[in-house]
Amino acid sequence: MDDKYLPAIYTGFALGIAFLGWRIDNAYYLQLLIFIGLNTLLALSLNMLMGYAGQISLGHAAFYGIGAYVTAILSTTYQVPPLLALPAAVGAAMVIAWIVGIPTLRLSGYYLGMGTLGFGMIVHIVLREWGSVTGGASGFVGIPPLEIGPVSFASSKSYFFLVWAVVLAVIILCRRIIDSRVGRALCAIHDGEKAAAAVGVNTRRLKLQVFVLSAGIAALAGFLYAHLVFFISPGSFGFMASIKIVTMVVIGGMASIWGALFGASLLTLLPEWLHAFSEFEMVVYGLILMVVMIFMPRGLTRGLMDIYERYRKTHDRQ
Amino acid sequence: MNGTAKPMTGSDPILEIRDVDKAFGGVQALDRIGFALEKASITGLIGPNGAGKTTLFNVITGIFAPDAGDIRFAGQSIENLEVHQRVSLGIARTFQNVELFESMTAMENILVGLYTRTRAGMIQSMLRLPRTRQEEARARDQAMELLNFVGLRDYASRKSGDLPFGWQRMLEVARAMAAQPHLLLLDEPAAGLNISETGHLGELIKEIRKQGITILLVEHDMSLTMSISDQIVVLDQGRKIAEGTPRAVQENKAVMAAYLGKKANPTNN
Repeated sequence: MDDKYLPAIYTGFALGIAFLGWRIDNAYYLQLLIFIGLNTLLALSLNMLMGYAGQISLGHAAFYGIGAYVTAILSTTYQVPPLLALPAAVGAAMVIAWIVGIPTLRLSGYYLGMGTLGFGMIVHIVLREWGSVTGGASGFVGIPPLEIGPVSFASSKSYFFLVWAVVLAVIILCRRIIDSRVGRALCAIHDGEKAAAAVGVNTRRLKLQVFVLSAGIAALAGFLYAHLVFFISPGSFGFMASIKIVTMVVIGGMASIWGALFGASLLTLLPEWLHAFSEFEMVVYGLILMVVMIFMPRGLTRGLMDIYERYRKTHDRQ
Repeated sequence: MNGTAKPMTGSDPILEIRDVDKAFGGVQALDRIGFALEKASITGLIGPNGAGKTTLFNVITGIFAPDAGDIRFAGQSIENLEVHQRVSLGIARTFQNVELFESMTAMENILVGLYTRTRAGMIQSMLRLPRTRQEEARARDQAMELLNFVGLRDYASRKSGDLPFGWQRMLEVARAMAAQPHLLLLDEPAAGLNISETGHLGELIKEIRKQGITILLVEHDMSLTMSISDQIVVLDQGRKIAEGTPRAVQENKAVMAAYLGKKANPTNN
């Protein structure tokens, strides 16, 4: 519907990124913005699966981890240039998603949640126990910085631009899928799987496709994460990480691209802001999430839009 | 409309149901059901509640596999085809309790209905090449035509869940038509409609038949069913107890006894 505004929105978004990158020199803020970008990618990835197609995954951090570890192992142990490790990392996650998805996506609702949860746990255990390859519980050290040809992304600022360019590209691609035959069929599956099949949608295949796509985006975020921090450990890709991705999608607003951005921003910034509460940090964090869900059950994006609508209505009446 | 399925020859039946059995636990929902539908005909499938009408719909569309028997569509067995494959072949349906995609607009509902007649996949959607854009534009035109056909042109961008119930039924018919079917199965399309809406529906069904589409209709509204059907099939407790023209069926003793029961006037439902 808002198709005609999209180019303007994208341009504004790009200008916003350029402006932030130009103004901000503080390494801490750049780092924070980079993490918001990575989390936005993860939220976008799960949002395609959960928000649009209505299929829950409680093991999404596994794909994030696969992306990170594949590039870590290839580029460090085997000295493969990161640019070649990228398709391998994303491809590995997609192939695994495809294999796992065939039996798992026959499940639905809570059962699918349990199935994906189990998958996430398996990947986490493999990363932790396969010490000779992954470095085990102590983690994987010495991942090289990103260099694509002559361009180096070693500085925070260049990495900031890289991550946010990727975020913008992924937003555009997701948006295009949503506004297409495939995207509408995904929403149809969400609304009623029986009816979707009855109008000719191959629901099983489409769910598998979106699962694979979603895994690919998560692995892309994992790739960028590995070359950002140079050190990865299984703890970053465990159950809590998966739950955090689900929370970002739900808090931001399901079935909304901008919701993914909101949710990722809030969940990245909140812990930083809450340091002041020291040991009560997690309590306040949980409280804020509860309040958002109670007053904006459909997420921040919808919630803020509703508030704006209400404000405009009362304003018009005066 | 650019129907993609191949044209049918004149006199062969488009759908043949041969000795179909279906049991749920101890209940024989369908017991050796057999009948055929002529191309571009309207067949009314009637019977008391629990007679097996909806079960038969579900068997024809592939939601349930029959325990025995065969279903042939345009001369070929469709036994091994999944639900969505049968839609591609040209079998579309509506549901007894309207099953629209409620979070989507009327237009989007029809566009999903065009799923089997459009091609763009995930990668094409991302690339959005000219061919994909053209297909999208064409699909929107066709969807608009269909909305116009059922009289919902002005409500294209309304959420389907917000439309009045009668319009939702029309929208569901239009969505089924979007699949460019050869056979359209309507499961109680008049349920919940008022008299004028029912009249409009009857006209619409006749209009659809004029386009060469065969219709199988489950309906409790006897005046509608008897007035538009060429042929009536009567089910009772999973068995076919009568088949024939509306007049012949209304005079059939078995039907009177089993279905219409003690009621004096069969046209009064």
